[in-house]
Amino acid sequence: MAYPCRNDAGVAMTESGPISVPEAESANGTGGVEHGGEAGRAPRARRAWPYWLAVAVGVVGLVVTGVLVWISASTYTRNENRLLNLRARDAGTLLTGALPTLQIPLASAAALADATDGDVAKFRNFISPSVGPPPKGQFVSVSLWRLGAGPPTRLVTVGVAPVLGFSSPHLSEFVAQARQGGKLRVMGLLDLSQPRLGYTFTSPGLTGRYVTYAESALPANRQSRFQSSSSFSDLDYALYLGRSQTHANLLVTDLSELPIGGRHAAVTIPFGDTVLTFVVTPRRPLAGSFAQALPWLVAIVGVLLSLGAALITARLIARRTQAERLAGSLELIADENRRLYAEQRTIARTLQHALLPERLPSVQGVETSARYEAGVKGVDIGGDWYDLIALDDHRLLLVVGDVSGRGVRAAATMAALRFAIQAYAAQNDPPDAILSKLSKLVNVGRSGQLATILCALVDVEAHRLTVTSAGHLPPLLISDGRGTYVESEVGVPIGVRAAAQYTSTSIDTPPAATLLAFTDGLVERRGESIDEGLARLQRAATTNHVPLDELVGRLIEDLRLDGGDDDTAIAALRWLE
Amino acid sequence: MDNKAEMRFDVLEGGDRTLKVTVSGELDITNIDTLASAVAPALERGPARLVIEVGDLRFADSSAIALWVRWSTAVPDVELRHVPPLLRRVVASMGLSETLKVSP
Repeated sequence: MAYPCRNDAGVAMTESGPISVPEAESANGTGGVEHGGEAGRAPRARRAWPYWLAVAVGVVGLVVTGVLVWISASTYTRNENRLLNLRARDAGTLLTGALPTLQIPLASAAALADATDGDVAKFRNFISPSVGPPPKGQFVSVSLWRLGAGPPTRLVTVGVAPVLGFSSPHLSEFVAQARQGGKLRVMGLLDLSQPRLGYTFTSPGLTGRYVTYAESALPANRQSRFQSSSSFSDLDYALYLGRSQTHANLLVTDLSELPIGGRHAAVTIPFGDTVLTFVVTPRRPLAGSFAQALPWLVAIVGVLLSLGAALITARLIARRTQAERLAGSLELIADENRRLYAEQRTIARTLQHALLPERLPSVQGVETSARYEAGVKGVDIGGDWYDLIALDDHRLLLVVGDVSGRGVRAAATMAALRFAIQAYAAQNDPPDAILSKLSKLVNVGRSGQLATILCALVDVEAHRLTVTSAGHLPPLLISDGRGTYVESEVGVPIGVRAAAQYTSTSIDTPPAATLLAFTDGLVERRGESIDEGLARLQRAATTNHVPLDELVGRLIEDLRLDGGDDDTAIAALRWLE
Repeated sequence: MDNKAEMRFDVLEGGDRTLKVTVSGELDITNIDTLASAVAPALERGPARLVIEVGDLRFADSSAIALWVRWSTAVPDVELRHVPPLLRRVVASMGLSETLKVSP
């Protein structure tokens, strides 16, 4: 930003005014920052509840767990059923193999009776070993019957009497049915106080038609267990006569409650003219308890993993949200800092320009121009200034100064010096006297401040220039495309000694010369001699034919290209031809 | 802004009331207060002589020179020693060669 002050002779000074520029800055800079802040906040406010992902992870985990549990449970069930069916078939086979031991004695006895034509003694001898009280005896009662035209005739009975009694027509009828012959016939006598199974057998195709009738006793409560050493000790069972699994048909079981619920398998085994139904149920998992527990294990582990994954996800989300929030607040702070920085910078510039001349005086025969440029980095107000004071209608005092340091203190000292110079100039003090008097205003020992000041007294009509320097860089006088520094005796800066004395140097200036006074910001670069900076300015300022404002502006822009961290003040004067 | 220039210094108080301050790097407005407050206690003990060793100082701005001038008002005998040519030129341009007793 540059604030040119120009004054062509006879033309009213125009000054854009420093106030308008900060307003423009705030419109471009601060407004832009706030706009950026709004744009940054809006998406955060619209964002949905952030933990949906954690919930989704948990739900997916639970669904997968459920599927795995279902698979393992159904595998377990299928496996158990398969094993149980195998066991039931094995048991049925075993039972089938045992049945002939029941049939053979009866069949043999019937054949013997046939062969001996009903010899009772031989029958008794033959069958007796098979008869006795359970469990030793196979049958409790065996009797031999002869079939004739009428009801069957009983020849002999070994063991106890048949449970129905000898005269029972039911028994007679059952025995008579054996006539149809050839196989074991079975009769359930299950609803009696002494439950029994009755059998008949007759030898087919033989002459005498003898029938063996036998009864075997069932346990009164139908309870009997497999032996614990049995290979079926892991099964509970129920054995029914016939196909119907009703309590009335129950022969024997080791269960106290019937019918069997839960997992069970049934096999039917041919038994004489009927069948036995053998139902088994496992006492414990046939494939082992681990197989049974597996679905539960899968369920527990799966649920725990799902919850864990959901929690971890939620935690990561929480961290990210927190980080985003932090980043957001940092962004807000940065925005605020940028705004404050811009504001402070604006204030500094406003104050600085308020301390500089509002308008340059107009003196017949010369044009003037001046500029102040703030250091690019600085938020502080600087201590550089310029001033142009019309002493009378043909004399001007051109002043450039630089108070060391920055900030409000430097600005205050600068203002004090500037107004003091105006006051002393108004009472017609010559420059050397002005600077001597200023020496009493600043004390480096007290304030730590020094000020370098260049006073150039210009007699426009006489083309005479008087230069007095308090530690300041010399002014450049440009004429005919050549720049020359007006060397004078350099006194100490203001502030070193209260009684400092200064010496002025006067020269005659060529017509149409240009005088350029400046502060060190224009020529000083780090790592470079100040002489190089002065030479650079000298080269740059030889183009004498551009308008004065343009020359000043071009110098500021060209010479401060790569430096520019220091303030710069330039005051220029050109004799009009 | 906290972009301070890189600067090192060393303060040595000799037995003969000589205070020696060695400064290297770059000394400017951003770090001048650090140096000023570090040297202030030694200055208050009233040294008779102050030697400012600036042989390794690459850059010094006007605030650094102002500080040295300020020290020179408090100490009778101040010497700026081993002044690099660039700095010597700046001191000369400010008319301070005698005040600061610039020695090569």
